[in-house]
Amino acid sequence: MRVTPSARHELTVIDPAGVSAFRKIAEYRRYRTLFVILALKDIMLRYRQTLLGVVWAVIQPLLPMAIFTVVFARVLRPATGGVPYWLFVLAGMAPWSFFAGAINLAGATFTNNHGLLNKVYFPRAILPGAAVAACLLDFMVTGLFLAGLVTWRGYRPTVEWLLLPVIMLMTTGLAMSVGLALASLMAIYRDVKHVLPFLIQLWMFATPIFYPTSLLPQTVRRAVGLNPMAGIVEALRSCLFGTTPDWNLLALSGLSMVAIAFTAAFLFHRLEADLAERV
Amino acid sequence: MKTISVRGLTKEFMLGERRAHYRMLHEWLTPRWVKPAERTRNRFVALKDVTFDAEPGEVIGIVGRNGAGKSTLLKILARILRPTQGRIELRGRVGSLLEVGSGFHGELTGRENIFLNAAILGMGHREILRKLDEIVDFAGVDQYLDEPVKTYSSGMYMRLAFSVAAHVEPEILLVDEVLAVGDADFQKKCMHRIEQVGKHGQTVLFVSHNIQAVLRLCNRALLIEQGRLQQAGPVHEVAASYLNTGGLNQGERTYAEGPYAPGDGVVKLRRVRVRSRAGETLATVELGDELGIEMEFEVQDSSARVLFPVLSVRNEWGTEVLWTTDAGAEWHGQKRPPGRYRVIAWVPPNFLSSGAMTVTAAVHSFLPWKEHFREVDAVGFQAIDTLGAGTARGAFTGPISAATRPKLEWTVDYQGDGHLHGVGLSTSRSVIP
Repeated sequence: MRVTPSARHELTVIDPAGVSAFRKIAEYRRYRTLFVILALKDIMLRYRQTLLGVVWAVIQPLLPMAIFTVVFARVLRPATGGVPYWLFVLAGMAPWSFFAGAINLAGATFTNNHGLLNKVYFPRAILPGAAVAACLLDFMVTGLFLAGLVTWRGYRPTVEWLLLPVIMLMTTGLAMSVGLALASLMAIYRDVKHVLPFLIQLWMFATPIFYPTSLLPQTVRRAVGLNPMAGIVEALRSCLFGTTPDWNLLALSGLSMVAIAFTAAFLFHRLEADLAERV
Repeated sequence: MKTISVRGLTKEFMLGERRAHYRMLHEWLTPRWVKPAERTRNRFVALKDVTFDAEPGEVIGIVGRNGAGKSTLLKILARILRPTQGRIELRGRVGSLLEVGSGFHGELTGRENIFLNAAILGMGHREILRKLDEIVDFAGVDQYLDEPVKTYSSGMYMRLAFSVAAHVEPEILLVDEVLAVGDADFQKKCMHRIEQVGKHGQTVLFVSHNIQAVLRLCNRALLIEQGRLQQAGPVHEVAASYLNTGGLNQGERTYAEGPYAPGDGVVKLRRVRVRSRAGETLATVELGDELGIEMEFEVQDSSARVLFPVLSVRNEWGTEVLWTTDAGAEWHGQKRPPGRYRVIAWVPPNFLSSGAMTVTAAVHSFLPWKEHFREVDAVGFQAIDTLGAGTARGAFTGPISAATRPKLEWTVDYQGDGHLHGVGLSTSRSVIP
């Protein structure tokens, strides 16, 4: 048994208030292997015995893009600032399909792993976190595919493209916060499971994916940044197509992202110690 | 230095919440004064004021009846459940084996499942890589390592699962009943493994119904009865009082009317006792006497299914020595109208071996098969050997360790003095009177 002296003597105090936050953070570090393995497991299970494998990652955003293009291209083309409409939609659809897929999976992790949560202790937030991480492979594949199409349409990579990984990281962080909040809520109220599909659909329409923000009325446009996905889509497009971003929108989205992260942490913290009894 | 220190540990469950499994939104939205009756939930005290310590290298057995709170105690120590009151200090990493094969997935290969399960149990990737060969060896599944575990036999599956668990090496190990799996050989391997763990200075808490295993592995034991720590001390003393005075020996147990008796909406257990033909309750039974195992149950929903009662007896080593159901024609294929039933299984004289026995009472139904309740160790009794000439022991006075000791019909063929001619063979039947 090779244990460092510090680990051998580390003291854990359990009382009704739970374990100290400091100890919990240390545990997430210790369990990083579990995080990686859970994410890999999800990826392997998703594509094992599928014919197309990871190609599905590309097809998934392409289908809604095709529909939106057929329906709206004629009406909305002039408003995209010179970007081909289908490409404009795809640039919104790529982060969205990652985000929607990730929160859908992450939201169900606590309720689906009832048996595990009742038999083993591990830092609980790893479950939704790993579910989101497992979607990252798809996101990267769609991202590369999108970048390929953008270059093919004549846009040349600029310095701003260096920000693309940062945007992906922020989308991941957002998906983890929302996933954690949804998973916690679903553990208490199973109603969330039934509401989630509608919520995701509504959220998609509230995000400027198939329309540019410039088409929104002034009052709505000011508030649209409250939806952090709006900020992500906006940032992604201005990086790819070199358009000037709406700085107000981005700032608002940033704030809203932080607020969501804190809300999620709070919800999870309230639930964590009683999770096994709730799910 | 103590590795575990538990002070005044109490755990209450809210029964209302457990019943509903989750709080429903409408209940949450309803003001308190509208539904006062539904808001006052029943509390169930699973553990009350439990205090104990453990030193490094100690292997401590936790014994007690089903529902006494043993598993709740482990779950709180493992941080799966939150204590209601009290304080626990744990020194070092904690590993819990409350089941084997946590997180196993049928579509993943043996190797992948080892990684997944080991990580769930708290191992880091370097540790897993270092132990991989050892784990595979221990489980003996090397040819199938890259096959999905859904193709494994159940024995292979359990061996692989336990093998991972056996290689977790935290300073504090919490083990719950996992030895109940696998064949005898593999169980022996597992017991040996737990012994080794204790010798390396790790602290082990071991919950088991198998008193033999507890006696063999543990230095010290805790007896938990109805959520309270009844006794703590050397394992032999605690095991003796669990078997003899620990409530298992009254020969009779009655279950309160109301929702908490074992059972479901179809049938509920009311009483279990060990009795004589004359009707008296027996806490001790002489091997030469007949005994009846009586169960009373109440059928609440007759529409449901065809019910059949099952009784079984285990000896003090945890071996099931007898299993019986009502195979008679009277209620065969019949649905039972609501009401109370008393069933008695008569065990013939000179069948059991001596020792502390416990009775498990259950009611099942067919099509589809369902277990409505299974009350493990509902009552206990002592089967005592009076060494009388009328028993199956005959004239033998030494120890007998067999699980049953029936008085059988023996035939003896005297084959003469070696010059047999195939005729005139004398056969005598001897049945000890």
